[in-house]
Amino acid sequence: MIRLSNVSHTYGDGPVLEDLSMSVDPGEVLAIIGPSGVGKTTLLRVLALFVRPSSGTTELDGRAVWSVGESERLALRRRIGMVFQEASLFDASVVRNVEYGLRVRESWRERLRSQFRSVLGSNGTSEAVEEALEVVDLDDSLEQDADSLSGGEAQRVSFARALAYDPKYLMLDEPTSDLDPRNTGLIEDAIGTARERGIGVVVATHDMHQAERIADRVGVLLGDGFSEIGPTERVFEDPTDDRTRKFISGELVY
Amino acid sequence: MALDPAVDLLPALLDSPFREGYVSSIVYVSLYVSVIAVSLSTLVSVPVAIVMGFVDFRGKQFVKSVINTGMGFPSVVVGLLVLFAVSNQGPLGSLELIFTKEAMIMSQFVLATPPITAISLAAVTGVEGNVRDAARVLGGTRLDVALVVIKEARYGIATAVLAGFGRAISEVGSVLIVGGNITSSDGISKTRTLTTAVQLEARQGRYETAMVLGAVLVAIVLLVNAVVVRLGDTGGMGR
Ligand SMILES: Nc1ncnc2c1ncn2[C@@H]1O[C@H](COP(=O)(O)OP(=O)(O)OP(=O)(O)O)[C@@H](O)[C@H]1O
Ligand SMILES: [Mg+2]
Repeated sequence: MIRLSNVSHTYGDGPVLEDLSMSVDPGEVLAIIGPSGVGKTTLLRVLALFVRPSSGTTELDGRAVWSVGESERLALRRRIGMVFQEASLFDASVVRNVEYGLRVRESWRERLRSQFRSVLGSNGTSEAVEEALEVVDLDDSLEQDADSLSGGEAQRVSFARALAYDPKYLMLDEPTSDLDPRNTGLIEDAIGTARERGIGVVVATHDMHQAERIADRVGVLLGDGFSEIGPTERVFEDPTDDRTRKFISGELVY
Repeated sequence: MALDPAVDLLPALLDSPFREGYVSSIVYVSLYVSVIAVSLSTLVSVPVAIVMGFVDFRGKQFVKSVINTGMGFPSVVVGLLVLFAVSNQGPLGSLELIFTKEAMIMSQFVLATPPITAISLAAVTGVEGNVRDAARVLGGTRLDVALVVIKEARYGIATAVLAGFGRAISEVGSVLIVGGNITSSDGISKTRTLTTAVQLEARQGRYETAMVLGAVLVAIVLLVNAVVVRLGDTGGMGR
């Protein structure tokens, strides 16, 4: 479980998150909805152990992430995957991108060996990489250059890249915001697959229908914290908070 | 015929005023000195560029201005300083490096390092923050992130090394001062480079010889350029 307790974060001028507490369990999909600029990306970066919040505690599977030593924190970080809002693929082939997370987890000896083999052209694609690309329906574009991919394909490769090393938790920052229905469908299916594998998925999204389709729970981020967080159906059908109701019905415009 | 000029040059290359091995020994000295100096510069410059691109530290601005000043530093002054360092009274006097290739490597190193560092730094800072973040969030250590940055900046860094090599191999002032433009009694170059040879031949009125040596120099520079451009093409320079 990832647990945030009384987390506040500021980039200098005014808090982005304030006194926020929440948790994510393995095997659930939690959607974070909220207006632009409210702090969804910031929250995901905190959950991915990528950003140390200004105050509050971040726990992963019972360990206080920012109190342990550097090497233990690295081990903890490696249980988590994240797909950024912006394209961030390496200037290399699709396979190279997807296998990256596996490579950095290998010993230097193994890494040198596979580097050597790939120079000789005899480097087989690992099963995990092929499987991850199958999940996003891209298992036939292995050798394509990442910068020649379409936006939708690039986003799917990013997803596969985070899935390949079998993380326990996956943070997805608006993974479908620029995508057409087909690519959106493929990503949503992939989220379902991840969930079945027992991965805890947190997905930030602008699309409330998407949240309704895929999420077990929804967190509504308004102002500098959650106005509401709970089971999807309950939050959408019967929000207890007035601002949540207005936001969901579209009355509340930021 | 397209080959004509080259065919005309060939006898000139073989005939007097060239003694056997004269041109090739000069080319060898030029390449030896420049390649070693630029390799050493690269080993220093790229890590410096990476650190400067990543880490904020006190005095970073100062280091930057040192690098920028170094880019425009007169090569004869560098030659003079190295000459002083390796001269009998200098701090490195006991090594007896005066008028040797090693002394020339030292001055070329000093001259090539600033441009290689500056251009590498520009390449490293040009790597998207997202890409660095991706390497880290996928489980990379700081070293892994640095390696990714080097990989992403590879064409920029190759360009930097090329520019450094271009400066080193075309440079006259400092190699003349610290190397002395020496040949041994059989006419084989000891510290004579293409540039210092061209300068000498031209001064002595042997324009044909000077032209041939100059052409060899240009050919080397063009060849190295072509290799880097080729690297860029096959590696996807499209950004
Ligand atoms: N690195 C940063 N430095 C300074 N301010 C930042 C930084 N990152 C985000 N902010 C600010 O923090 C606030 C929240 O940003 P964040 O990116 O988390 O919002 P978001 O909900 O993801 O928005 P969007 O839906 O547009 O992606 C914004 O006001 C933003 O300007
Ligand atoms: Mg965002």
